[in-house]
Amino acid sequence: MVTRLKKWLERILEFISITLLISLAVIVVLAVVFRFLGQSLIWYDEVASVLLAWLTYYGSALAVCHRGHLGFPGLFLSLPKPLRGVAFIIAEVVVIGFFAVVGYAGWYLLGIFGEETLVSLDWVHLSFTQSVIPIGAVLFILAEALSMPEAWRKSMAGIDFEKEAIDQAIEEASQS
Amino acid sequence: MTTVLLIFGLLLLVLINVPIAVALGAVALIGMVMSKGLNSIYNAALTMFDGATNFPLLAIPLFILAGALMNTTSISRRLINLTSALIGFVRGGLAMVNVGVSMFFAEISGSAVADVAAIGSVLIPAMKKRNYTPELSAAVTSSSASIAIIIPPSIAMIIYGALSDTSIVQLFVAGIIPGVLGGFSMMGLCYWYAVRYDLPREEAFSLSRLWVAFKEAGWALTLPVIILGGIFGGIVTATEGAGLAVVAALFIGGFIYREINWKHLRKAMVEGVTQTAVVMLLVATSAVLGLHLTEMQVPQQFASWMMSFTSNKYMVLALLNVMLFVVGMFLHGAAAIILIVPIVMPLVHQIGINPIQFGLIMTLNIAIGQQTPPVASVLVTSCSIAKTDIWETTKVNIPFILVLVSVLLLVTYFPPVSLTLVNLFYG
Repeated sequence: MVTRLKKWLERILEFISITLLISLAVIVVLAVVFRFLGQSLIWYDEVASVLLAWLTYYGSALAVCHRGHLGFPGLFLSLPKPLRGVAFIIAEVVVIGFFAVVGYAGWYLLGIFGEETLVSLDWVHLSFTQSVIPIGAVLFILAEALSMPEAWRKSMAGIDFEKEAIDQAIEEASQS
Repeated sequence: MTTVLLIFGLLLLVLINVPIAVALGAVALIGMVMSKGLNSIYNAALTMFDGATNFPLLAIPLFILAGALMNTTSISRRLINLTSALIGFVRGGLAMVNVGVSMFFAEISGSAVADVAAIGSVLIPAMKKRNYTPELSAAVTSSSASIAIIIPPSIAMIIYGALSDTSIVQLFVAGIIPGVLGGFSMMGLCYWYAVRYDLPREEAFSLSRLWVAFKEAGWALTLPVIILGGIFGGIVTATEGAGLAVVAALFIGGFIYREINWKHLRKAMVEGVTQTAVVMLLVATSAVLGLHLTEMQVPQQFASWMMSFTSNKYMVLALLNVMLFVVGMFLHGAAAIILIVPIVMPLVHQIGINPIQFGLIMTLNIAIGQQTPPVASVLVTSCSIAKTDIWETTKVNIPFILVLVSVLLLVTYFPPVSLTLVNLFYG
């Protein structure tokens, strides 16, 4: 059940993140073309920056599904099993607690922005662009929770996620 | 929260395997709440959004995507054939091919681990077959891959440039001479090893073979020429150059080589977004930490503290190099840059160090950090391919690390190495 839910979340996050990446690439290329035509897009910088922030948070939640964020697992994995278990729980509490606070603060701020809009596009509200903070925080927590059972299993077995990613990169490179 | 408590908290969280990005944000948040009260959580949330909208960093997802697209094609094989036709006839040629391909590859992909996997999975087995020891094969592959981050386009330089308000294009230009110098010195070292251990030559030099290999790899080589030509020529910015890189990679991989299908494309894009997000989350949370540190005047205190030891520019550079070396041993490149830049930049400006030169110093330290365990992703990747022990490989790798250190010392104490081209084009 958890595995299936995680797979679904991964697919949704992949779709959103890929759409954002394609939009970014298209906007940047369009901006170059329009600039050469002598008609610079005035909204380019602002919209591209917002898309980058969105890509950051949706992509971050996606990276959590594979536990892909940079860490320092060396000492953690060399701890005796019971201590490793305690460290694992504390680490999970810190991650979820941090994003719960950020998510709450981000959600509270949406109400404060009121009718404020982007500078270059006055029909795009800041509450819409900044919504990525509370939504991203919830998605991060969800991805953290859904990937927790597998992370626990691997941590207890002493498997390093980073080493796994390297092995996968090598396998893919040898296949191509 | 005092600076000592903050560092202690950060260390503790990182050691129990909290992702570095979250650890940075969490200690900053706690520090802000303790010093300014509960309301500062709103400031933190705002900063996390603003931190992720750093415009110059837009080049990162685009360069990573272009690199991932090129990695899904047979570009590594084509470049290996070309370099082999160029220098394979020299004694120890296969090791030199390894270095040469890394220098070419540096201009195409942004991820050192992906590059080393692509090059190493072809060249390491070939080297082992030709009597190179597994340790030497892994060491050459690993060290030469680190050249990648000092030859443009470089993700590390983009991050440094964006966080320190330094021209990314000028950083790219500054990396050319040290990168080429490092690459050729490593080739010289390979020759020395080849003579000492009687390593073989590959096929004899043949113009027709070189021409065939050049035709095969020609399109792949146009990619850096078009992009870097556009960026250095002032026609496009680094971000726009990255956008063009994606278009060029799609065109070359999809229409010329006809090797990119939907499955490849999806994989490359997923890789692009996750790698970008990992770096960008670090940037965003470090912005929160940066805000807290600035409120506590830590960068200024750090500058005064360092100046209390010495105000000699070269001594300060030596101390900074030692600090960066130690940090690079324990942190991944992106994390090290993101953490260190906001703290040391006031000192760099105060003491009159050129920020472009310091960018190169920082990037070279990251390159060395990729080779020094315990955290050395590039070395780990090569050792996994060669099936060798990391510490045994490190023994063989020391001369190659010394090459990187020599280039670092040259860049540190002889600024023209990095600044001549910059002054020539932009002076």
